[in-house]
Amino acid sequence: MLSQQILNGLVTGSVYALFSLGFTLIFGVQKLLNFAHGATFMAGAFIAYYCTISGMPFLLAIGLSMVATGVIGIVVDLVAFRPLRKRGNAEFPALVSSIGVDLVLISIAQQVSKTQVLNFPFGTFPVKFFNFLGLRISLLQIVILATVAVLVVLLIFYLKKTSFGRQVRAVATNERAAALLGVNVQSVFLQTFFIAGALAGLAGVLIGLLFNSMQFLMGEPYMLRAFVVVVIGGLGSVPGAIVASLMLGVMQSLTVAYLPSGLTDAIIFTLLFIVLLIRPNGLFGDANAVAGGTRQ
Amino acid sequence: MPSLHLEGVSKHFGGLKAVDGITMAVPPGEITGLIGPNGAGKSTVVNLISGVLSLTHGDIRLGGASISTDRADIVARQGVSRTFQNIRLLPEATVLENVMIGFHRREQSGLMANLFGLRAALREQREFRDRAHALLERFGLDEYAEFEAGNLAYGHQRRVEMARAIASEPAIVLLDEPVAGMNDVESDELATIFRELANSGMGLLLIEHNVGFVTRLCKQVYVLDSGRMIAAGDPHEVTRDPKVVAAYIGTSKH
Amino acid sequence: MINLYYAYQPIIDFFLLSVGFGYSQQIALRAGVFSIATAGFAAIGAYAVAILVTKTGFPIVGAVVLGMVIAGGAGLVLSLPLARLRGAFQAIATLAFVQIVISLLLFAEDFTGGALGITGIPRVVNTGVLIFIVAFVMYVMWSIGRTGLGRIFDALRQEESVAASLGVNIGRYHAFAFILSGAIGGLFGGLQSLYVFQIEPHNFGFAFMVNVLTVVILGGRTTLLGPIMGAAIMAILPELARPLAEYRPAVNGVILILVITFLPNGVGDEIVFWFRRRRHAAAAANRVKVKEAKNAVTSS
Repeated sequence: MLSQQILNGLVTGSVYALFSLGFTLIFGVQKLLNFAHGATFMAGAFIAYYCTISGMPFLLAIGLSMVATGVIGIVVDLVAFRPLRKRGNAEFPALVSSIGVDLVLISIAQQVSKTQVLNFPFGTFPVKFFNFLGLRISLLQIVILATVAVLVVLLIFYLKKTSFGRQVRAVATNERAAALLGVNVQSVFLQTFFIAGALAGLAGVLIGLLFNSMQFLMGEPYMLRAFVVVVIGGLGSVPGAIVASLMLGVMQSLTVAYLPSGLTDAIIFTLLFIVLLIRPNGLFGDANAVAGGTRQ
Repeated sequence: MPSLHLEGVSKHFGGLKAVDGITMAVPPGEITGLIGPNGAGKSTVVNLISGVLSLTHGDIRLGGASISTDRADIVARQGVSRTFQNIRLLPEATVLENVMIGFHRREQSGLMANLFGLRAALREQREFRDRAHALLERFGLDEYAEFEAGNLAYGHQRRVEMARAIASEPAIVLLDEPVAGMNDVESDELATIFRELANSGMGLLLIEHNVGFVTRLCKQVYVLDSGRMIAAGDPHEVTRDPKVVAAYIGTSKH
Repeated sequence: MINLYYAYQPIIDFFLLSVGFGYSQQIALRAGVFSIATAGFAAIGAYAVAILVTKTGFPIVGAVVLGMVIAGGAGLVLSLPLARLRGAFQAIATLAFVQIVISLLLFAEDFTGGALGITGIPRVVNTGVLIFIVAFVMYVMWSIGRTGLGRIFDALRQEESVAASLGVNIGRYHAFAFILSGAIGGLFGGLQSLYVFQIEPHNFGFAFMVNVLTVVILGGRTTLLGPIMGAAIMAILPELARPLAEYRPAVNGVILILVITFLPNGVGDEIVFWFRRRRHAAAAANRVKVKEAKNAVTSS
């Protein structure tokens, strides 16, 4: 029973990872919190749903949804972040304007769906279960784990091995220095926003499939969980986000199974709080980044 | 008035010795100079004294009591005030308000008096306002009292910062390049003010790049190069010291 | 006139409550704290009052005061661990605080009624009470603005290192800001309880947080007029934009983006600043005239 819970937790956690990676990537390069990330996730699920019911092959629907949410990411950067960045000290204003984008997306989704809960039509994804070592795992769960693993590997490869990745890391370390070295900072921003949006969109589709229920507010709890993930993993840290997502997924599935219902949120947010206090840079972040020899 | 003593003070950033075992004194009623080429570690010294940075080695004492582990605000409350090399004003506040915040150390009225606008708090504010106006007049700034500080010319901003730093009548004032970017007339005006402040008993530490200005004003000058104290003493002798000349000429070649 | 009042009474009451929550949000932002904890403080105040009044028969005024004290205390407790955090981390920590409050309210069903909340709260708060208390809070905010406290908050927002260099104990003043934000949030949370008859945890969720933030962003983060303008726009807008009623969140979102981008100080603050600048310009012009007159006298 315990191992089954852990397995289920890992599956949910892997989707958290997909979602949180984009969020942490944006923070890494811009040092800004993108509150529209939850709505982008929801948009991914919605777009895939409407494409599917209009008769499009499911894989194509997913691809289209990822492109669309990637574009939403770019729009967020252009509309909500870029004008504020020019002014400097955008930390708080960007939080506000991304909430603005979040509200717009949610409002549109609410009208489109008429506030209804949406479900993918039966058979969108084959319902098939496997048993091994006493564990019950669905084909969907296997596909999710595999997809996330492949994407994470691709993303890390992209960030570590390609010239774009080097530019992203240069901007994350020191934006001004990167610009002086000839990195096109704006284009790095747009690309990270596209990737972040596309990953969030895919996460939305996967969650929509996994729980077979989508509604216009579905992004909010995931947004809140992304905060937990990025704080525990270290804001801006890619490996931290992955490990923390899996941890969170497992922890959540265990608390739901073994503790009184309703305590899950209290526990995970208290955990977030404690980590913020003890290690503001996360369990896997650079502990020295904060201090720098100042007197406290 | 107490004097300020630095003893064997060092600050290392990783392997870099930004300040390396310096010893110096800032006595009351005098203007003391700290000069050195760019990157010598002068501003680091200011940040060490004012409690922004923590010391790697050594001790800083104010009138006998160590302040080397005190937080910046505690150092300030004991009477050590400063200006910043890169001017730091409250850009949205008016010039007058920028100076008025300088009186914080002298504030007597409690939280409740502030929250409910009690007479004691308001009277105190009026007093600060009058004194701030007087200070602005002294620095030739009173006509800008109601301007937003961020819109002021560079030289004026520097002077607002100085007025703010001396508002609470601190024992020691650390002036980080106060005449940078000013013309001769302006720096002469400031020199007069600095002399008056010293005569009133304040100890001033003048951190400067401009050797001439320091030589004119200071009784005692310390010369810093690459974090080390290479000379100290009478300004005219010090500036003739071959090591000092070499340090200045050496850096100007780069 | 009387009929007009009855027609618009709910809007007026909504406006007054928004102003109150707005001040709770504003005082934190004014002191440079990126807190979005007002929703949590409001929830604490609202539940404290609801529980005290419906379950223990506590006198109503006493319950409101106690709710305010508890929420202020929560602000103090929250400020201690947050002293080391800044910016995005502060925002996330306060968001976590709100989530913890809400999940505990959902969990402690015996006291809070869980997701169903508490009903049957006596409806004793009316427009008059709200006006009186908003006026009291405004007086406090006005006092803060003309004493040293407001100046220190402004300094902390604009340049923390300057405040420290002048002897301001940053942690202590951030704690004051949190206590004030908590007390005001708790006070109006309690009033909301006694106004709406029924409360539940989700009244204080993400939507509440966004609304309060909107009030202050629209209105302004530093002046007394700020939250009033912000709350007024929020109250009147749905009336003006009836055809867009279904897209109300979208309208709010667009307004948030436009205001933070093009009017970053907020409507209320901009109005106050405009008048201030005009007054100063007039004073400066006057000084020039006086000077010229003096010069004319001395040269003649």
